[in-house]
Amino acid sequence: MATRDKIYYTEGLPVPETPDLGTQPAFWKKTDLVGKPIPRVDAYERVSGTAVYPSDILLPNMIYAAILRCPHPHARVKKIDIAEAGKMPGVRAVITGDSKEAKGVKWKYRDMEVPLFDSHCRFEGEVVAAVAADSWYQARDAAQAIKVDYEVLPFVVDYERSLDVSVPRVQEKGNLLSEDTYSRGDVEKGFAEADIVLEQTYHTQCELHTPLELHGCVANWDGDRLTVWESSQGVFAVQSRVAEALNLPLSKVRASGHYMGGGFGSKLWPGKYTVISAMLARKAARPVKMLLSREETYLCAGNRPAGTMRIKAGVRKDGTITAIDFDCIGPSGAYPAGGVQLVDWLARDLYLCANVRTRGRDVLINAGPARPFRAPGHPQGAWALEQMIDELAKAIDMDPVQLRLKNVPLKSQAREGTPPYTSTGLRQCLEKGAEKFDWQASLERIRKFNEQNNHLRRGIGMGACLWVAGGGGPPSTVVIKLFRDGSINLNMGASDIGTGTKTIMAQVAAEELGVQPAIIQIENADTATTQYATPSGGSKTVPTEAPTVRNAAIALKQELLAAAAEDMEVPEDELEYIGDEIIWSRDAAKRLRITEVSRLKKRGVMIGTGYRGPNPADKVVNPFAAHFCELEVNILSGEINIIRFLGVHDSGRVMNRMTFDNQVYGGIVMGIGFGLTESRQLDERQTGRLCNKNWHDYKLPTAMDVPLEITSLPIELDDPESNNTGAKGLGEPVTIPTAAAIANALCMATGVRFTRAPVSPMEVVRKLSERKEG
Amino acid sequence: MLPKFSYIRPDKLDQAVAQIQAGNAAIHAGGTDLLGCLRERIIKSEKIVSISGLEKLRGVRETVEGGLRIGALTTITGMAEDPLVRKKYPGLAMAASEVASPQLRNQGTLGGNLCQKPRCWYYRGEFHCLRKGGNQCYAIEGENQFHAIFGHDNICVITHPSDTAPVLSALGAKVQVIGPGGGRNIAVADLHVPPRDDVRAETVLDQGEIITHVDIPPPPAGLYTSYRKVRARRSWDFALAGAALALVMDGDRVVRASIVFSGAAPVPWRSREAEQALAGNTLSDDTIDKVCRAATAGAKPLRENRYKVPMFRGMLEEELRKARLQEKA
Amino acid sequence: MEKNDHDDKQGNGYSRRGFMQFIGVGAGVVGASLLSPPLRRPLKAEDVGTIFPASEMVKVRLAVNGTVHAVLVEPRWSLLYVLREIIGMTGTKIGCDRGECGACTVLIDDVPRYSCMTLAVEAENRTITTVEGLMKGEELGPVQTAFVETDAFQCGYCTSGQIMAVEGLLRKVESPSPEEIRLGCSGNLCRCGAYPNIFAAAGKAAQLKSK
Ligand SMILES: Cc1cc2nc3c(=O)[nH]c(=O)nc-3n(C[C@H](O)[C@H](O)[C@H](O)COP(=O)(O)OP(=O)(O)OC[C@H]3O[C@@H](n4cnc5c(N)ncnc54)[C@H](O)[C@@H]3O)c2cc1C
Ligand code: SF4
Ligand code: FES
Ligand code: FES
Repeated sequence: MATRDKIYYTEGLPVPETPDLGTQPAFWKKTDLVGKPIPRVDAYERVSGTAVYPSDILLPNMIYAAILRCPHPHARVKKIDIAEAGKMPGVRAVITGDSKEAKGVKWKYRDMEVPLFDSHCRFEGEVVAAVAADSWYQARDAAQAIKVDYEVLPFVVDYERSLDVSVPRVQEKGNLLSEDTYSRGDVEKGFAEADIVLEQTYHTQCELHTPLELHGCVANWDGDRLTVWESSQGVFAVQSRVAEALNLPLSKVRASGHYMGGGFGSKLWPGKYTVISAMLARKAARPVKMLLSREETYLCAGNRPAGTMRIKAGVRKDGTITAIDFDCIGPSGAYPAGGVQLVDWLARDLYLCANVRTRGRDVLINAGPARPFRAPGHPQGAWALEQMIDELAKAIDMDPVQLRLKNVPLKSQAREGTPPYTSTGLRQCLEKGAEKFDWQASLERIRKFNEQNNHLRRGIGMGACLWVAGGGGPPSTVVIKLFRDGSINLNMGASDIGTGTKTIMAQVAAEELGVQPAIIQIENADTATTQYATPSGGSKTVPTEAPTVRNAAIALKQELLAAAAEDMEVPEDELEYIGDEIIWSRDAAKRLRITEVSRLKKRGVMIGTGYRGPNPADKVVNPFAAHFCELEVNILSGEINIIRFLGVHDSGRVMNRMTFDNQVYGGIVMGIGFGLTESRQLDERQTGRLCNKNWHDYKLPTAMDVPLEITSLPIELDDPESNNTGAKGLGEPVTIPTAAAIANALCMATGVRFTRAPVSPMEVVRKLSERKEG
Repeated sequence: MLPKFSYIRPDKLDQAVAQIQAGNAAIHAGGTDLLGCLRERIIKSEKIVSISGLEKLRGVRETVEGGLRIGALTTITGMAEDPLVRKKYPGLAMAASEVASPQLRNQGTLGGNLCQKPRCWYYRGEFHCLRKGGNQCYAIEGENQFHAIFGHDNICVITHPSDTAPVLSALGAKVQVIGPGGGRNIAVADLHVPPRDDVRAETVLDQGEIITHVDIPPPPAGLYTSYRKVRARRSWDFALAGAALALVMDGDRVVRASIVFSGAAPVPWRSREAEQALAGNTLSDDTIDKVCRAATAGAKPLRENRYKVPMFRGMLEEELRKARLQEKA
Repeated sequence: MEKNDHDDKQGNGYSRRGFMQFIGVGAGVVGASLLSPPLRRPLKAEDVGTIFPASEMVKVRLAVNGTVHAVLVEPRWSLLYVLREIIGMTGTKIGCDRGECGACTVLIDDVPRYSCMTLAVEAENRTITTVEGLMKGEELGPVQTAFVETDAFQCGYCTSGQIMAVEGLLRKVESPSPEEIRLGCSGNLCRCGAYPNIFAAAGKAAQLKSK
């Protein structure tokens, strides 16, 4: 690495060597900017109120949309009367399934295609009609004035009964959407070899994403070109779904969303509302703002399905897990949506076990379709598996941390050919975590505490996980532009959903280019001005985009060197890029400021394009984690007070310590909600309708429900094989083992195994009084 | 979305009284409950009379007898933080500080808190239930984990949502009301209407009556007050099981006991059984046990809320033990 | 059930007579205030038509961050709606429109309140402070600075509400304890779960303010 003259934004920053054309850059051994806890590059905008989120957009002449939704879980629309609504003040467009605009417009649930306005409504909240009017209030007034005649049909909303013979069919083919099975080894033999075999059924409730920003968009036509500002995790997904629905070329649909207020998977794709907004905007010849109401988002913006998981496992006294048999059932909702997707993955792959069998049945019910929700399937699977592991440990009188340590896999047993992981930090997560948490001493302390035998009981518990994805991968294209004054524009399609993507990418580009992140301006999440990226989800954004950004930076450096070689009349491979200057390695006196490179001066801009290369061919890139929790239970009232939490994560390189820790905190908070407070409540026995479609009855954890002490401990392993930055995903593993860790702590505190999530005070009291009576 | 309405904000009480007579006018104090009710079409009113400009109805004053007079427009925060309230009736301050969230406490008023509509999710949702003039209570057969175990008579099984009413009732407070026919006094204990009397009314107030003040009698010597609220999450949540205690102690003996539950019944639920079991006794383990049993003996739990029986018992046990500790200290 | 929802839709505000009544009574309401009394003259049809046709509108004056905005509103419009969609100050966010998330928190006379649960007509003659009002020119205020430095947000959508809640807390309590901070933030949901950093931000903001 060379030193160089200083200009303000390169001061003190060494620059990695530029690899030769066509070669992969080496793994960074040491970084100067990447990993640093620098504040977010867009922090100012977000705290000053100047960041314009899609819901904030105001356009001249803009009007407001509202959707009328089916109030029944299952019904057929017989007749819609819009006469009165159409005449209401301010109304400019009304669309129903009968409107000519709606004819032939389709919507897709996975591979199932249905009319956008489907007169056969299979869930409460299905769209029936839509209105646009001058004010938001007028739009809602008009939507309510639409008269609809429904033929109310029999329904099923209880997924555990959806396969009964007498139950109404949600789709014509019946309610069993799919049945997936997996097996390796011989489970029966495994159970025969076990010293202890345990079996237990676990339940988790339906969880709703409810990001703070409502689902919605602003749609505007400029001639035949549509622009949609959508609160989205992936603008390219918005572009393609809308183009497909409206039969437009991709080039005619621009989707944009520089800021977005959370998604957690529910905004990976647009909704029917997006297409409807575009249709209303066209009909009214006005820009249209459509924000779903909070209540609507509970009905139609996805969920993490409930699940029933039966797990049977065998263990030998030495801690060898001999067999796992896992069976789960869960609902997609009214349309295919992955009701049990990945629920069995941890049972298959988290611990060493030769004999594993799983079955998952995805069923249909008359309720809103699921959408991927932060680590789909995994928190549910962990709820069952991680409690079972604790039970096994207890049965063989082994410490639960030790039992897990005995079974750390270095290979992915569930994948074809059992490929090794590029890194398995699970051991370190468990060991370092136990140490940091003071596991052994805490056990002792708590035993003493509980001997006082008052109404407050304490417990500690832990759980571990991996996340099936999180390695990222192609495709992704990133462009870095160097302007003639030396400033830099980083152009990428990916959204920053709150994980700090923009900041991290600025750090990566800055690291590679030897400049301060502040000089880099990021352009992102706009299909018209940035390059294709897949939606931000699955904890794959950093491991996908960071190497791509790095590649783009390198391409830019190579382009610069080639151009400078012409100017300096020396061979290109004898030149070195040092941030603001290019020097000749044979004689450092011969140097050229990059702003003096004639090709840059002539063209005004120089471009480096990076593409995401493939992941290692026969290896798996997965993040690992362990969570530890201490809590106190009031056995008289059932109240649970979480005292402290520790999240230990192997996600490869820590790209920014501050956003890293923030993710860990956030995942734990969400896991607390999953484990203790959140549950969708359908009126199962009567109307099938949703009872708690608001944040009061559907209870997210508040500031009072999280411990004052949450600690994040990264296990930073070098993982040069994962990708050229060494980062693995973080956003999902942070919420996977949380609830299970709580349940294990609860079990220690009360001596009772809580198999149903969420464990509210009601559930605690219920279980404890059952025990008293029983 | 809120439906259309006209809005009037008088600056004198008599103007307000006059305005509220007309048609189906609704009173807006802080509006935290009213606006939700209007949006859900629970209250159908085309005319909103805001009393928020009636400054005289705001504030806490000590009466000559040593009790307190709290204006109906006093905010919940105002009560929770008022030094007189905290000194004389700590239980009331506790209850106030457990209402809703800080912002709602800053805006919501005492009058509104006493007159708020119930929080049954069928009632607040799009279910045309008995209390809204329909012909069915959805909660009886439906999802009733948050519903009543006392006093519902299987008619309407709401729990009364107010946190302040149980304490005020236990303290023997009275509301001062002004209406077209002049003023009257109503004991807080008599303010709320059980379903068997009228399933569509929450309070005995007539259309056009405004609560102006709440009067709390002076605290007798040896008064111990407390409020406890068990809930599913620790902010922004109504009681699963709550209790207001007003005990008059003589040494470690309970001379007089008022025990009023929240989260229990369609009205703030006075547990006479528990009071009787407690009055005249010392707070021994044995008494506490008896009181807790007596408190829930008459419970009529529903399918999903059986847990409330042990929860009320447990919560009350803890509260009585706390009272004992306090008296010893 | 639906019928119940629809059958009162004809309740389309008050008639001209109702409106006059409002004006008659309302004229006396305007009390001592830093604001000049709001103008409550009957609005001529042409005053209204161009902005929102076919609605009865009243003029209110809202003092937001030291500037008085005279706006025409329907009495049912929330302060939140008027701030965001009429005045165009979108720093204040909408999360639920029902008093259950705190994204819309503003200070009214220095006290945090939900602007979604406050009618615009109720906010007359009061001092309204939004997140934009904490700036000094283009410089961040101390609470905002603390939020940046402690990374007290992820998606940032709850953030202006959190900032206003903390601002309100610090205007009341100079150096709050950790438990007071938690309580002060307990009317603001953060689905991203940045609570620990929000608590840290509040602590830091208290320090910055006292400097
Ligand atoms: C999300 C949420 C959570 C809540 N949580 C709780 C809780 O935990 N505990 C709790 O106790 N409450 C809770 N509340 C209920 C309630 O909003 C507050 O308690 C508040 O005190 C109500 O006061 P207000 O002035 O805003 O009432 P308003 O909404 O103005 O009025 C409520 C009702 O009372 C009538 N009214 C108001 N003042 C008078 C008067 N002086 N005379 C006659 N009638 C009058 C109104 O006409 C209206 O029908 C919650 C509310 C919300 C929205
Ligand atoms: S409990 Fe009362 S309010 Fe609830 S559904 Fe039954 S009648 Fe209606
Ligand atoms: S938008 Fe006001 S509290 Fe949620
Ligand atoms: S930062 Fe996203 S909700 Fe708080």
